[in-house]
Amino acid sequence: MSRFIRKMSRRAIMQALITLPALSLFRSQQPVVDPDEIVEINGWILRRSDLA
Amino acid sequence: MIFDSYEAYKQTGFKPKACILGSGPAGMTIARKLGTAGIPIVVLEAGSREFSEESQDFYRGKTVGDFYFDLDITRLRFMGGSSNHWAGWCRVLDKQDFEPKAWAPDTGWPISRADIEPYLGEVHDILELPAFRPDVPVSDDIRWVQLIKSPAVRFGEKYADELDKSKNIAVVLNTYATELTGDGKRITGAKLWSNGQDAGTFSADYFVACTGGLENSRLLLWSNERSNGGVVPNAAALGRYWMEHPTFEGGNAVLANYSEFEVDGSNEAFFSPTLAAMERLQIMNFGIRLIESPYPNVKKLIADLACTAPNMAEWMSFQLDQRLRCAAQLYVAWEQAPLASNRIELSKTDVDHAGVPRIELRWKKSPLERRTLLEGLRLFGTTMAQKNLGRVRIDDWISNGGDYPTNEETAGHHHMGGTRMGTDVLKSVVDANCKVHGMDNFYVGGSSVFCTSGQCNPTTTITALACRLGEHLGKVIAV
Ligand SMILES: Cc1cc2nc3c(=O)[nH]c(=O)nc-3n(C[C@H](O)[C@H](O)[C@H](O)COP(=O)(O)OP(=O)(O)OC[C@H]3O[C@@H](n4cnc5c(N)ncnc54)[C@H](O)[C@@H]3O)c2cc1C
Repeated sequence: MSRFIRKMSRRAIMQALITLPALSLFRSQQPVVDPDEIVEINGWILRRSDLA
Repeated sequence: MIFDSYEAYKQTGFKPKACILGSGPAGMTIARKLGTAGIPIVVLEAGSREFSEESQDFYRGKTVGDFYFDLDITRLRFMGGSSNHWAGWCRVLDKQDFEPKAWAPDTGWPISRADIEPYLGEVHDILELPAFRPDVPVSDDIRWVQLIKSPAVRFGEKYADELDKSKNIAVVLNTYATELTGDGKRITGAKLWSNGQDAGTFSADYFVACTGGLENSRLLLWSNERSNGGVVPNAAALGRYWMEHPTFEGGNAVLANYSEFEVDGSNEAFFSPTLAAMERLQIMNFGIRLIESPYPNVKKLIADLACTAPNMAEWMSFQLDQRLRCAAQLYVAWEQAPLASNRIELSKTDVDHAGVPRIELRWKKSPLERRTLLEGLRLFGTTMAQKNLGRVRIDDWISNGGDYPTNEETAGHHHMGGTRMGTDVLKSVVDANCKVHGMDNFYVGGSSVFCTSGQCNPTTTITALACRLGEHLGKVIAV
């Protein structure tokens, strides 16, 4: 176990573990959007940045 | 020499070495090549100097399958052939059009573009064309190509004087070759119909059928049936692999800068795929014709764009305020996959006034072509967006897999295949010199020898092949 973890209280470690899945969920809700990506909508062939 | 009837010609005692059937771009080019080489030639032309309803009636026929033009509308039967109303768009088939495509069966020619290149100088003189500029790559997928609008040379008008004065060429009008007779090795004669009646049999050492991209198949099918295979001994592919250039409006485009692509006199610019893109997407060749739209269409297009892409629409409206021309219609014409099932047959019930069965054309566009249309527009749209040259909208019927419209251009009036060139006698009718397989003295000129159609209009390539065949025949006859 690293020195850093040994110094943390058990409670702090638990809290960190609980927040982890929530963070990753949050990340997957905000995919990185490529503004140059080509999309086809209503017959138009567009760049994603055209859609704003 | 030009004669208005076979009767008048017969009295001259002229002794031709070769007989050419048909005086369209193919027949006339071959005749002029041979005449210039000092070889006496007769050209038998079914029609007269001018259009007539009676002559056109011989061209009536029926189409089974997809919607197509009436067969007596899509071609002309008088001196000069369909060059009397062609539009004059010119381009030679691309190098890649001659290559076999692994993803499309029965593609590939037995000759390459290099085989016709030596004749392009003559072709430019005949069709009165300036030099073509090289293709310009727009992306790895799309080329900006050039089609040149020639003054639409009317072969009958352009060469009437020259032919009239010629000592080596006799053009005999109102003389319909209803049937060729053959013994499986040689053509022995042509049965003629002139002035509404049987006019006997004509013989010559060599025969060249140049009666057009539908009629060549009809003439050979009928002749072969009558002579029990003596005219086309290997007839498995006869009449088959017939092709057109289907043509439809495919969508619209808004352009970032109209002057990006220099348009021609008709405000048009043309785009085609690279071989790599065709290979990757496994599609046929196609040509996108971009035509500047009139102002009201632009407003409608931007209103539609505003619902989908507000940012883009805002920019477009600004351009419009500046009165910039920035919208275009997109027409797509494409190469048909050569299919044996697309074929010319002889009608079992309907004959013309001379008793020759009329054409029954069996023609259907294939799923591969449908994919070529959609993927072609996507490819062009993607290039336009990626390069920020503009944005493309594909028409709904194409995106949604709807039926082909019947009120549009439909096709190019380009009749190709039926007597295609090749080495396999089961899949072709003529060899690389346009000589009918197994026959010693019988050749075919015109787009019926095309193995594949590429995406461009055929007459420039027809004329180049005719120059090549004329030169070849000149050498054969001189021996
Ligand atoms: C509306 C229209 C627009 C076109 N636009 C273009 C274009 O822009 N670019 C392009 O490249 N092509 C175009 N074409 C196609 C072009 O006209 C043809 O490719 C070209 O004319 C074919 O030349 P050909 O000599 O092979 O046949 P044809 O021009 O059809 O000539 C055949 C000749 O043979 C004669 N004939 C027929 N049967 C017999 C017989 N049994 N005995 C004796 N004579 C016979 C006919 O009367 C005719 O004179 C167009 C065609 C049409 C109809």
